[in-house]
Amino acid sequence: MTDHAATGRVTTAGDGGAPARPATPPSGIRRIRIPQKLRNLEFWLLIVACFINASAIVLVQLGALGRIDTQLVLLGAGLSVLVFGLHIAMRFVARDADPFLLPIATVLNGLGIAMIYRIDIAEGDAGWESAAVRQIAWSAIAIICAIATIFVIRNHRVLFRYTYLAGLVAIILLILPLVPGLGQSRGGAQVWIGFGDIATFQPGEIAKIALAVFFAGYLVRNRDSLSMVGKKFLGMQFPRARDLGPLLIVWALSMSVIVFQRDLGTALLYFGLFLVMLYVATSRLSWVVLGLSLFLAGAIIASQTLDYVGNRFANWLTPFSDERFNADPGGSYQLVQGLFGLANGGLIGTGWGQGRPDLTPVPQSDYIIASLGEELGLAGIFAILALYLLFVARGFRIGFAGQDDFGKLLGVGLAFVVALQVFIVVGGVTRVIPLTGLTTPFLAAGGSSLVANWIIVALLLRLSDTVRNHPRLVIDG
Amino acid sequence: MSELTLVVLQLGFLILLWVFIFAIVYALRSDLFGQRVRKLQPETATAAPAAASAFPSSPVPAAAPTAPVSTPTASGGAGELASSSNATRLVITSGAKSGVEFPLGRDEITIGRSSDSAIIIRDDYTSTHHARLMLWNDRWMIQDLDSTNGTFLNGSRVTVPTPIPLGATVKVGATTFELRR
Repeated sequence: MTDHAATGRVTTAGDGGAPARPATPPSGIRRIRIPQKLRNLEFWLLIVACFINASAIVLVQLGALGRIDTQLVLLGAGLSVLVFGLHIAMRFVARDADPFLLPIATVLNGLGIAMIYRIDIAEGDAGWESAAVRQIAWSAIAIICAIATIFVIRNHRVLFRYTYLAGLVAIILLILPLVPGLGQSRGGAQVWIGFGDIATFQPGEIAKIALAVFFAGYLVRNRDSLSMVGKKFLGMQFPRARDLGPLLIVWALSMSVIVFQRDLGTALLYFGLFLVMLYVATSRLSWVVLGLSLFLAGAIIASQTLDYVGNRFANWLTPFSDERFNADPGGSYQLVQGLFGLANGGLIGTGWGQGRPDLTPVPQSDYIIASLGEELGLAGIFAILALYLLFVARGFRIGFAGQDDFGKLLGVGLAFVVALQVFIVVGGVTRVIPLTGLTTPFLAAGGSSLVANWIIVALLLRLSDTVRNHPRLVIDG
Repeated sequence: MSELTLVVLQLGFLILLWVFIFAIVYALRSDLFGQRVRKLQPETATAAPAAASAFPSSPVPAAAPTAPVSTPTASGGAGELASSSNATRLVITSGAKSGVEFPLGRDEITIGRSSDSAIIIRDDYTSTHHARLMLWNDRWMIQDLDSTNGTFLNGSRVTVPTPIPLGATVKVGATTFELRR
């Protein structure tokens, strides 16, 4: 590399960049790349992250068993090896990717495994019966999926070409659980597919990624007609009636998820994702106002006509009434137990393995936040929320710094879907909004959710790599 | 294992978790508080940041421009707007890197002190995310991103995204540049 300091410092894209860029930089241009500074930062953060995960498992064993069992610690160590595998893969194919996403996701995943393991101990599950072992196996699959994503998708603009294919895939994934013989119902919600008892999967989790890609591509192509025209009313410019089509279609889709799949949370997630991406694409508040009123109207009608939605609302408003607490299907027993658990945790929690999170129904999936709140206390819950906050903020940052509109929208959409999911779950458990069954990203037991969220991590990493990977000129004044 | 050791270990875990979070926040502090101004010349290092606004009276390094608008290169047909077809390069006309140029692609070009900008200008007058150049309907536009000291096109402050004529002077902080054929 020759020195052109006299003519200024200009960098070109890295090796893996778009083919359109000239292979040999014009004169006056040279590469400066601080060698792998971001990756080294990530390396140190990952070491801390893996140490946190290992100590969480050890503390669970000390607290609940009173001794250290090396088997699960070894399994957890295997997972750390995979995470470092992803890190090494990024050193080759995504050198300039964001250094914080991977450590944050690792810690969240590890905390989830430790809590699931703790509940296994309380319920006496071991071996393949144990949800923690299955969670570790799924985490391994999910991280391998993330590595594959980073290798296969070298430039996120490829996804732009498959906008409508992504839309189709999302619809198919949503319909799959309703296919007789393939779909399975659990806890009332028809959102699972599987053959018999083995290998069940929740295709809706993957659908949210496909939907984010579809919405981003669709909105980039059509945003002019959605944002430029319309009448002004109450200080907001409202869209024309004929441009309402997409909003109504997504609304109908969410409503059918509520009616046919009996899944309030998923419907809220998809609709919220669409609204936010629409708002980011058009910067029109009127879309949000219209969308929210549509959704509220739908939710109120559903709460009057559909039993399970009505129960959720009643539990949310009066969980402590005897009638709601003792109602057998759809009572507020779980919600109240979760609240008692959180209260028992107090400020610093009972400590790993010292509480009774197993008293709440499904403490390892829907209610993992209440379980963690009991054992880690308010300090621990806030730490977890801070991790989510940082994760989502990095995602928005990647979207903000994006060079192309599709990448911007996709980054914001993927980050927001994680944020909204956390809000729906934590809000439901803490009685801010009616409780809806959704998985807590990275924490909750469940393979499909892990795979989907690790693919989101991989896509955000890929986006952030392309963001930094462009010509630049440095002027030191 | 005694009760006390266990309590201490559990508290240690919570502290470790928060140390991890603050380590991340510390590492990305430039995102939260903006990029720090890097002082290179010892003369400017002595000037307090507040005094930096008193531009003519402070000791000015030789490279810094005093009247950036007076660049004599008002070439190109006056009024012809720069588009993706007729503008091929961006030329720095004054400031520390005066004379440097680089080819325009079709990508948006962000300007600011932040290290993820396309053109990074580290001086006292540039904001972290200062301005951006982008193609709108194949025309190069300059947009000010709410910068503190403003972006100037031919001497007037840019408030809304404005098309750039070929050869017009764009001023960001102490740096000016033009789009040329």
